[in-house]
Amino acid sequence: MKKNRKFNKKRKNSNHSRLLLFQKPDMKLLRACPLSGKNAPKVDYKNIKILKKYISDSGRILPSRVTSVSLNKQKQLSRSIKRARLLALL
Amino acid sequence: MNCYEHTFISKQDLETKQSQELINKYTDIIKKSSGKVLKTEEWGLRNLSRNIKNNKKGFYFHIKFEGEGKTIEELEKLANIDQTIIRFLTVRVKKHDLETNYFLKKDL
Repeated sequence: MKKNRKFNKKRKNSNHSRLLLFQKPDMKLLRACPLSGKNAPKVDYKNIKILKKYISDSGRILPSRVTSVSLNKQKQLSRSIKRARLLALL
Repeated sequence: MNCYEHTFISKQDLETKQSQELINKYTDIIKKSSGKVLKTEEWGLRNLSRNIKNNKKGFYFHIKFEGEGKTIEELEKLANIDQTIIRFLTVRVKKHDLETNYFLKKDL
């Protein structure tokens, strides 16, 4: 029994360090959606300042797993980015 | 009645009189075909991010109005014929946001 306990403890510790090694920085994982909330900016095809944050240098839409935008807002984003492209704003 | 936003880009070589005429022309069209204009905006001369029909710059105009399907048919039919207009976009919105203007002259 004693041996087992010791083994368990060790395992926990080692697991923790392993996780730290492979995890991305905690900030990125735990970050909430920057577009939903009380004082969040409006997603609109006219609001170019915000749309520019969510496209890459070559003009492609960034995936939500990078930017941690919620599913609903990502749909609105992609639609409004495409509208802005049509009007040659982006 | 639904809420719509209509933006269109005209060619670069426009004089100040002509730009007002353009807006008046399209507001008249909306009013005639059972519509109601709420607000008009001029975003001014902007660089296009890519060339449209060999144009590098264009004047942007924005109209917020209420109307029905017929008004939009009429609008787009005439906008397609009009040669001074390079491109247009009509979008249906749930609620009009009449306060914020994203294209004030300070930013340009």
